[in-house]
Amino acid sequence: MSTGGAIAERDVALVDLIDRLLGGGVVIAGDITLAVADVDLVHVSLRALVSSVEKARPPEP
Amino acid sequence: MIELLAITDDPAPAAPPLRVVPAAGLGVVVEPAGEDELDADALWRRESLLEELMRERALLPVRLGTRVEDDAAAVEAVAPRRDELAAALDRVRGAVEVSVRAVAAPGPAGPAAAGDTAAGPAPAAPLPGAVEAVHARLSELARDDARHEGPELLRAAYLVDRTAVDAFVAAVRELQREQPGLSLLCTGPWPPYSFAEEPGP
Repeated sequence: MSTGGAIAERDVALVDLIDRLLGGGVVIAGDITLAVADVDLVHVSLRALVSSVEKARPPEP
Repeated sequence: MIELLAITDDPAPAAPPLRVVPAAGLGVVVEPAGEDELDADALWRRESLLEELMRERALLPVRLGTRVEDDAAAVEAVAPRRDELAAALDRVRGAVEVSVRAVAAPGPAGPAAAGDTAAGPAPAAPLPGAVEAVHARLSELARDDARHEGPELLRAAYLVDRTAVDAFVAAVRELQREQPGLSLLCTGPWPPYSFAEEPGP
């Protein structure tokens, strides 16, 4: 998971995760807006090609 | 404060720190509310918890940041929508969400420079109708689909039967070969974030 490609895939997946966390899910009264830190979406390269289903998650602690 | 993570209709207990609070025949998966500021690791941790749960039961993720005072407030928030949420659980049962985005593929000579006024043809432009062809083919393989606005040519989510995920991914690969003018970005399987609410009229 140390290659540039794997990191790009993780970033691509992170974009999808954040999209879903902030824009998806059941909306129930009592929403609080949380800040999402340390996530610089500008650096995500949409040119990465990930045509397999991969989450490329960080390693489990 | 507790944070609401998901709605389920399986009352079986969840592994700590999660708890399942019974609410009008449904269950609300909750955990103690944590920090107000989340980094990428915290988001992935939350995702892992949901994926563990998703393995054993149907669930609807709850929008990030949904917090209430206590269990009673959680029940109060969910009970009035019981029928609607139960129907949504039936819609997603046995399925997962797969994300597909399409962007224009970089040309053979690399991405065109910004502001380029060259007279030559644009590199590797996607074929007319390519995006619609991709979406149409993938929609056929999905139980449901949702297209969203975004900077990409296609930003879509597909609700795919668990047993059909491999076939879906194979179709994405095939479409990538058929459409060299597009780069297809596919991630998942995700909990059904994009299918938790009934789409508007």
